[in-house]
Order: sequence, then C-alpha cells, then structure tokens
Amino acid sequence: MDPIFSPPLHRQRHQFVIDFVKRNKPKKVVDLGCSECSLLQKLKFHREIELLVGVDIDGANIKKKMHGLAPMSTDYLQPSYDQLRIELYQGSVTQEDARLRGFDLVTSIELIEHLTLADVERFSEVVFGYMTPVAVIVSTPNSEFNPLFPRPAGFRHSDHKFEWTRAEFKSWALKVCLEYGYEVEFTGVGQAPRGQQERVGFCSQIGVFRWLGGRQHCNMLFGDDAEDVFSYTLLYSINYPSLHDNNILQRVLVSEVLYWAEKLKRNWIEEKTGERDDTSTLCPAEGEGEECLRTSERHMEMEDRQTAECGAETKNPGERQESELFWTNGKGQQESCKLRRCVSVPLAVLWSCCPKLSVLSGSLSNLRHVLMDNPEVKLSQDGSAVLLNDQERDLEEEEEDRDDLEDSGYAVCSHSAEPEEDWERNV
Amino acid sequence: MTGRARARSRGRARGQETSAPGASQAREPAPAAPPPAEGELVGRGRQKGAPGPYSAEAILQISGGFQQVKLGERGGRRRDFHDAGVNTRQAMEHVKDSKSGTSGAAIQLTANFFRIVSRPQWVLYQYHVDFKPPMEARRLRSALLFHHEEVLGSARSFDGALLFLPHRLHNKETVLHSETRNGEKVQITVTLTNELPPTSPVCIQFYNIIFRRILRILDMQQIGRNYYNPKDPLNIPQHRLTIWPGYTTTILRYESSIMLCTDVSHKVLRSETVLDFMANLRQKCGNQRFPEICAKELVGLIVLTKYNNKTYRIDDIAWDHTPNNTFTRGDKDISFKNYYKTQYNLDITDGNQVLLVSHVKKAMGPAGGPPPGPAMLIPELCYLTGLTDKMRADYNIMKDLSTHTKLEPEQREVRLNRFVSNIHTNTDAQAELDKWGLNFDKQLLHLTGRVLPAERIFQGPKSYDYNPRAADWSKEMRGVPLISSPQLESWLMLYTRRNSNEAQSLLQTLNRVSGPLGFRMQRAVMIEYEDHQESLLRALQQNVGPQTQMVVVVLPSNRKDKYDSVKKYLCVDSPVPSQCVVSRTISKPQTLMTVATKIALQMACKMGGELWSVEIPLKQLMIVGIDCYHDTLAGKRSIGALVASLNQGMSRWFSKCVLQHKGQEIMDGLKMALSAALKAYLKFNNCLPSRIIVYRDGVGDGQLHSVVNYEVSQIMDSIKSMGHDYVPKLSVVVVKKRISSRFFAHINGKVTNPPPGTIVDSEVTRPEWYDFYIVSQAVRSGSVSPTHYNVVYDTSGLKPDHMQRLTYKLCHMYFNWQGIIRVPAPCQYAHKLAFLVGQSIHREPGVKLDDLLFYL
Repeated sequence: MDPIFSPPLHRQRHQFVIDFVKRNKPKKVVDLGCSECSLLQKLKFHREIELLVGVDIDGANIKKKMHGLAPMSTDYLQPSYDQLRIELYQGSVTQEDARLRGFDLVTSIELIEHLTLADVERFSEVVFGYMTPVAVIVSTPNSEFNPLFPRPAGFRHSDHKFEWTRAEFKSWALKVCLEYGYEVEFTGVGQAPRGQQERVGFCSQIGVFRWLGGRQHCNMLFGDDAEDVFSYTLLYSINYPSLHDNNILQRVLVSEVLYWAEKLKRNWIEEKTGERDDTSTLCPAEGEGEECLRTSERHMEMEDRQTAECGAETKNPGERQESELFWTNGKGQQESCKLRRCVSVPLAVLWSCCPKLSVLSGSLSNLRHVLMDNPEVKLSQDGSAVLLNDQERDLEEEEEDRDDLEDSGYAVCSHSAEPEEDWERNV
Repeated sequence: MTGRARARSRGRARGQETSAPGASQAREPAPAAPPPAEGELVGRGRQKGAPGPYSAEAILQISGGFQQVKLGERGGRRRDFHDAGVNTRQAMEHVKDSKSGTSGAAIQLTANFFRIVSRPQWVLYQYHVDFKPPMEARRLRSALLFHHEEVLGSARSFDGALLFLPHRLHNKETVLHSETRNGEKVQITVTLTNELPPTSPVCIQFYNIIFRRILRILDMQQIGRNYYNPKDPLNIPQHRLTIWPGYTTTILRYESSIMLCTDVSHKVLRSETVLDFMANLRQKCGNQRFPEICAKELVGLIVLTKYNNKTYRIDDIAWDHTPNNTFTRGDKDISFKNYYKTQYNLDITDGNQVLLVSHVKKAMGPAGGPPPGPAMLIPELCYLTGLTDKMRADYNIMKDLSTHTKLEPEQREVRLNRFVSNIHTNTDAQAELDKWGLNFDKQLLHLTGRVLPAERIFQGPKSYDYNPRAADWSKEMRGVPLISSPQLESWLMLYTRRNSNEAQSLLQTLNRVSGPLGFRMQRAVMIEYEDHQESLLRALQQNVGPQTQMVVVVLPSNRKDKYDSVKKYLCVDSPVPSQCVVSRTISKPQTLMTVATKIALQMACKMGGELWSVEIPLKQLMIVGIDCYHDTLAGKRSIGALVASLNQGMSRWFSKCVLQHKGQEIMDGLKMALSAALKAYLKFNNCLPSRIIVYRDGVGDGQLHSVVNYEVSQIMDSIKSMGHDYVPKLSVVVVKKRISSRFFAHINGKVTNPPPGTIVDSEVTRPEWYDFYIVSQAVRSGSVSPTHYNVVYDTSGLKPDHMQRLTYKLCHMYFNWQGIIRVPAPCQYAHKLAFLVGQSIHREPGVKLDDLLFYL
C-alpha cells in the first residue's frame, strides 16, 4: 500500500527511531506493539542499548520470529563489553507493569489508532504517568493525507478505531504534556507530493516527547516498590554474551593469555633453532604408518642447550622479548628422574606484547589473580610467569603406547577358515 | 546437483553485478533475508488458475528460526540431501524380498536412532488456497488467510498457494472472507487437494522442519545444516579455535519405520576474523608471497558473517576491491562501508582490506529476474569456520582437537540420550511437538547385527590369522616373505648434507629388513643435493635414467613444495616409482627398524610387488574402485581416479587418473579409463572379466541420482565398447564414509565399538535401496564410524550375503596398512591417486606407471 514512498513508509518510520537512537543513545528501550519484532530486529544492532524490550498484546505474533532476536553465532566468538538483554512480553499497553518503568525511550509506532479513545486515555496514563520514560516516540496516521491515496475514503486499515488530523494529534499530545510533565515536538515521515506538504502534512505524523523533570526525578518515582504490578507475561528473554559476564571474561582472558604465551614460545623456539616451524607446512603423508612416527630432532638439540639457556634471564632493556622466556624444569625434578620440562613465559612479557590483556584485566595483579584461580593455566610458584608444557615431549610419549593394543573383554569370535563355498554356484 | 549443473550455475554467476550479501533482498524488512531456493523446482506453473507470478514458486516456505527451509511440493526434486527420491531396489529382482545376509554370529547393537511415535493416522492435509480478487503480494495473502485462526488453528504452514494443516477442515471447500487494509473485500477459498500419509516425503520433510524449530527453542545456533550450542564452548587457545558441541539430525523413513537419526557433531570456529587471519598471514609470509598463499589458505573455506548468521564459501579474493567500493542497492549506489553502517550499525575500521568473493549458489533472483551476482564479503565482518588444510596436516592441532572431540562409545551414547531427554523435558519444545502431535521414543534403537568371521591372510608360502578385535596383522607378517617382490637393481637415494647420516643408516637398515621379506636390493646410488628445490630437481634430472627402478628422496622437512616437485618430476616428466622420507622420521635409531620395514614394503608395492592376499571365491572377477578429489584451487578442477584389479588375488592393480574439464562430468573421463582397465585385464589374463564390481566412492549428499541415472549407463557404454557379444555381470556399489549412523555394542555390560566385521542390513537401512553397513576397521580411541554400501545396480545375481562378505574381504587388501581399512582397497587406492594428483602433480601421471601402485 505504500508504493508512492521510497523507501517504503514502514521502513521510514523505523529509520526515524534508529536515527533518534543514534543521536540520543538511550540505554533502555521498549517498543510497544512490537508485533513480529521487526523494529527490535534492527535496534539490536545498536549496542549502546543495554535493555531492549518488546510488548505486544498478540503473543502468537511475537513468537513467530522471536528466535530471530537471539545472538548470532559470531556474537559468541568475540564477545564485546557491550551488554544487551532482550525481553519480550505479551501484555496490553493499557495495563501497568513495573518492569517497564524507568526506560530511556518508549516507542509506539502506529499503535494508538488501534485503541479505542478510552484506551488511548489509559495508554497515556500508563506510558506517561506510570512508565515515565525519558523520551517517547508516538507515530500515527495523519488523516489529512488520506485523500492523496488512490482509493475510496475510509481508514487505512480495517482495525483502525480512528485516524487523527494534525490538529487532533496535537491537542492530545499537548494535553499529555501538560498532565505528565513532558514537552513534545511534531514531525513525521512520508512527504506529500511537491507543493502539498504544507496543506496535508506527513503521511505518518510523529510526536517526540521528552520528560521535563530530568532523569533524577523520574527515578525517584519508583520508591513505592510495594505496589509493583506484573501484569505482562514474559515470553522470551536472552542475554547477549558480554565481557561483563565474569565467566565469559575469564574464558576470553585465559584464551588470550594461552594464545600469546604459545606464540611467544613458538617464536622463541624458532629463533633458537634457526628453523621455521615444520608443522606450519603441509606434509603429505607418505604412508599411514609413518604419519604417526614423528620425532623431534629439534628436541634433541634443545637438550644440549638447555643448561646454557636456563639462566639466560639477562634483562637488557632493548633486547627482544623472546630472550626472557626460558626453559625450566618442572617441580617434579627432584623426586623423579623423568624430566618434565616447561617453557616459562613471564606475565610481564605477555602484558607488554598483548595490549588486549590490559583492556581485559585492567592491571597486572588482577590478571595474575584471575589466572591463579583458573585450572587451565599453570603459573610458576611465585605467580609471575605462565608455564607451558613442551609439546614435543608429549608427542613422544604418545608414540610409546602405539603398540599396546590389547583386547578389552571382547569375546573372540572364531576365525577358523570356513569350509570352501562356491559363490558362483549361487548365481 | 550434478557436476554439470554445478558448473552451469557457476558460469552463470560470473560476470554478474556484485552486491553485498543480503542487499539484493533489501525489499524484505525481515532480518534474515530469504535464502535462495535450491535446485530446480518441479511444478512450475502447476497451479492452474492460480493468479500472478507466485505460482512459479509454488514452494512451501516455513521459517524455522533464521534459516528458512523450502519444501518442494509433493517431494519434487529440491536439494535432496538424503537422496530420498532414488529408488533402486525395485529394479533388482534378487533383493526385492530380502537384502539380508546370513553369515557370522549375531550381535546385539544399539544405534543412534530414535523412533518417531507419531500420532496414529498422522496425516497432513494439503489445501489449495484461492483469492478473489487475486492478491499479488505473498505476505498480504498470508496475512489475509491468517485472520482466520479460529478456523485454521495455530499449526499451519502456507506459502501463498499451498496450505498444510495437521487436521481436516469440516468441508472439502471452505470459503472465508477477509478485508485488506484498504478496505477491499477478499474472498478466500480453501480447497482440500491431497491427504499426505505419514510416510510421504512432504510429511517427512515436515518433521525435519519442526525438529529444527525444536533445536532453535533449545537455544542452539544453526551453522550450515546442523545446530550447535554456543553456551558451553571448548577452547583451544593456542590456535584460536573454539569448538561448539552440537548435533546432526535427520528424520527419514528407514527400513522399519520413520526415525530420527542424530549424532554428536562438533563445529570448529575461529575466534578471530578473516582480517586478523590475513594480517597474521601477511606477517608470517611477507608481502610478496602473501596474495598467493592467502588465496591458497582461504579459498574453499566457509565463513560466518557477523550480521546475518549465514555461512558463505570463499570462492575468490577481490584484490582490487575495498569496503569503499560501491554496489547498486535499489536505484542508488552505496559503498560497502556505508551499507554495513546504516544497515547493521557495524563500523569497518580497515578501509583498505580487500574483499572476499562468494558465488552464492543457484541464487534465485526476484521471480523471473536475473540471478544476483556473487556476494562480496568484508573480511573484518567474517569469521572462519572449520579447519584449513594446513591445520588438518598439523599433528598438534589435530591432537588437541581430538582430545576434545573424540568421544568414546560410552560418552557418545550418554550425550545422545541426554539430547533426547532434553527435548522431552523442555516444556517449550514439548509444547511445539505436541502442537503437531509428534513424539519420539526415549530410547536408542536396538537392533541385531552380525559379525563376519575374520579372514585368513595368505602371504607367500604361509597363511595366518590375525586378532579380529585389533584388525591388524603387522606383527603376524613379520619375517614372512611376500607373495612376490621385484628385484631392485638400479636405484637412487637422494639426501642433503645435513641428513647424510640418516640416509646412510636408512640404507643399511633397508638392506637388513628387506632380506626376510624376500625383497632383494642392490646398493643404491647415493646422491647428495643442496637444500633447495632447484638443486633437488637438477639431481633428479641428471641421475634418473631409463633403467632407474626406484628413487628414494630424504627430505629435510615436510615442506610441501619439495615433495611436490619430486612427485611432479617422477610421475610426469620421467615416470619412475619414488619414495619420499622426511628426515625426522628416520632420525630415531630405536624406531628405525619399524620405519624401514614400512618403507621397504611401500617401495615393493610401488614397483609391483604383492604383499598378501585373502581368498576370493569368485573367478574372472574385476573389482573397480573410483574416487574423486575436488581441487579447490587451480580452477576448481575435479580429479577422478579409477583403480581396477588385474588378478585373482586382488594384489595387482591398474590405475588411471583423469582431470575433469570445465562443464564435464567426471564419468566422461573415467569411461576411457575403464576401457583402458579392461584392455589391461585382457592383456594380463588373456580374457575379459566375466563380472565387474564397481565401488564408487566420493559421491556427495544428494548426488546419488546422477550416479544412478548417468554414471551407470556410462559404465555400461564403456563395457559395450569392448565388443557387442561381451556382456559381463555388473554391480555398482556406492560407498559412503561420511555418514552419521553409529552403532554401539554392549559387551560385558560395557558400551563399546562393534568389532570389525560387524554388518548391519536391517532397521536402519533404507527400504528403497539395496544397502548395508559394515564396520570393517578397528579404532584405538573414539567411536568407530561404519561405512555405508548402497548397491545401486546389480546384474550379478550375487546373494546379499556374498556381496557383503566380498566387500569386507576387499577391505583387507590395502597394502599400505597391515590391517583392515574403512573402505574396499580399490577405493582407498583411488583416493590416494586422486589426492596425489590433485595436491601435488596437477597432471596425468605417465602411462608407464599405470599398472603400479606408484602413488602409495
């Protein structure tokens, strides 16, 4: 029905809200009459929003596409600090629900014309009087525009209870402002053809309301918790992964530490052996058997150098970081003859080469604290360095048990050669 | 889709205008742009009298979370991953009644299948919906129809013309009245056109769609075809890998009933963007080699985008594009940078990054319009999924991965049970299932398999048995001479100065171990080369002569380029069997004997030696193995390899490799190869084989119909070309390794893998096929994966039991592994050959090597 508008009118309305969000950066936004959540779907990309709520009286409508609001796979891969929670409620805008109080922005896009005038009164009370958001965007058809549509007179939709002229909308809006302490600004989307804008106005008229009392005051209103009402039904809620979640932060931090530690270890080994890491090139297997039999010649060389390197903690300020990594022998060195070797990567080195760590953990001591509690990371006794196993060693151990194949309780089935059979004959 | 159709769609995509993904669907306000329909739709214009252009897309569309799945009406050919439309069994008289074998001992198994306990008489009713006056927009049609929820109920599915309901409306024809926003009165006529029984393909497709909704309700993320749980990831930080546990699910009609087949699956994701990856790579390999290496690493990988949860395959890199380039959206030009900012509020920080190109497959443009061009992707907004070839070849990464993803049978069974009980206990999921009257069994399917007796291995003068549980005879074959081995008189060993000690000791050890094998070798000519490619090549050119029987090259590292150039030279330019050894492999004295023995065996095979054999009760039989390798680089050429047996013992093989040309079916080339194989057989045996059994590997999901309809007749043509009176018995068996069926044995109260030789040919097979499963190999850890065999053509009259046992016997005949493998040996040989050619040689090997296993 909007062929005369480009882009389509509904999209222009949504764009209006998005532009508002971009300018004003509200943290808590609720869309009343969210229907199939198409506006929410767009708003969820604006991560300055921390709480995004949709309300509709038709629960089935919400359910249709609500799973589309879930985080995307990639949101889990590199979580950011932005927090976002989405909640969807089934409920009527003429009823109060304490969970919707104190928002920064309430949008009501093409909603009020579906209410009876009595319900519009209730709507005003609930939204402006009870929810008391900082800003409200209300859009509704402008009936003065209707004659421009090439179709018989009447409302734009069969369910519309009224369609207001600009004057009617204005008088309602001003009354609301007076009563609840808001100011309003009128605008709209859907320009009339040239020369007629003045006469008929926008196709959709929009009122942008702003609370006059300031944030402080409006929060104070919620002192009376005792009477909190919860008339809406929560249909869906989801928290987007965020670094504010301690578990996620820990996971990311540990991953980052281990990644950089391994990387430094590899660089160091490469430098010492003067050889590029073999494993970084493709190795077509010459035979399945051979694949498993790989030893580390490098490892042997290491052994000789180990003693020399062990104390090489010469901290020349200008020297490359890699020289601060050093081999250490595991704690078991004394009691066991089997050498468990580790590479030790000082936290300070990690800290200086990975800027992300400081962003994530704030301070070096905080980082140490986090790592100390984590079972995945091994720290040196004084907590100043990350210990990494020398992988090549593991590899060798793996090979040892190659031939230890034993039966595990399997009843051996007879495998004596069967009497000769003539398969051909059966043909 | 057939290879030809694929080539076609590729051709079409080229040269189209480019667009950002999702941009072409900008008309739709929906967040997830509708995915392109797959394949050709049967039933275009079938709806007589149905107005408007929509009848052309008479497909049922149901949104299941992000991904929308499309149904071809009446099960028409859509993207048919399960090859459900192929019915081959009916043409084979001898398996119409039974396709079960008889040998072996019965074994009780469970399988990863859950029966659907559907509501009795579960019937889907199909209605035709007519609008008067005709309504153009599909959305409007849906909106008008769904005003009548009180009549239709809440469980419904409508595509604009066809309506599916789980219940029958009171009258055959129902007339409803609606009104548009413009106040226009519309009369809607809903007419019952069909009742679909629970087994109809549409119904089954329907179960799958509903099940996907369930997975969505369980908060799982769809990636590709499967669903994964992002809440509980496993991280391998060293490699920036994240693994999400998930499930593959398929609901299909199996032999005895409709079942849900579900397996544990793991998705490997990268917690870095493609841009990060590229920056790292550039740092590693330098600016000069970067473009080449980058393309090699990235092309063929699947990426996940930040804004719409869709996956794209990287087909190319647009080195001349940056986010500042523009594309046409609507009637305006917009830069990629601005598009992502306005559409998704995403900032692109690096304005100089090059773009990735993905040829969106078979995209259906706006009805009748031109298909959209390739999608341009911004590296910064893409995450890599899966592993690169390089990572796959990295022993450490694979080890780390397998510790996370390998599940012992017991663990796997527990996970599967937990999955189904989750569905049963989640109230939302249960409500959705109840709505449709669907329900699943709570228990894994129990079934009976058979364990075939172990084969006796014949080797030279001796024969021996092996431990059937381990399926390996490397110990038993020690000290037993081979069936036959060549005399090695003139051969070379090349090595670098650094490895001269290793080379010397290898030479000595080879001499020592070859004696007991009956493999007589003279001293090799030792040649030193400098550690770079040109020197190595020069050494080969100067020393390899017509009398050279074998070249052994000791490589200082496993760098692919040296290996490739050796193989290229010795397969194409101067065809001689060759053996490469990485110096590291032979550097440890304590394992040198074992390694040298393996190398000696490999050398013997490469020169035409025969290691062992099993008893093959069929005479004048030729076994053929076919496999493909899809080269993602080099113009995406596919390589087909055909390997055919030349003797009774299945120990001599004829091998041929063909490089597919653009727009050509792989079988067109293999037809020639098969004729050549038959000629070779004739030369070897003085007669043509009286029966031919073709094992065709490398058939992808949904490609079965092209094998059945096209390849089989190509094979027959090829046979006919040997003479009109030559009519051998022919069987064609499609071999599939990548399947999600799993079997568990319960032995002594423990859940274990089924022993090697386990056959399953009931319950979980498909009623329309002559198919069976064999667990032939033994695995040391994790769950074993059975191989699926589907006999699609068979004039041999061979009993199913014999077909199964012959197949199992052939799994014993792969000379590069002293044990039983997953597939019949010729398939593995064909795989090896295709892989070598696709990875290293890129050309057809010399004819001189045709009857040698030079590619082992």
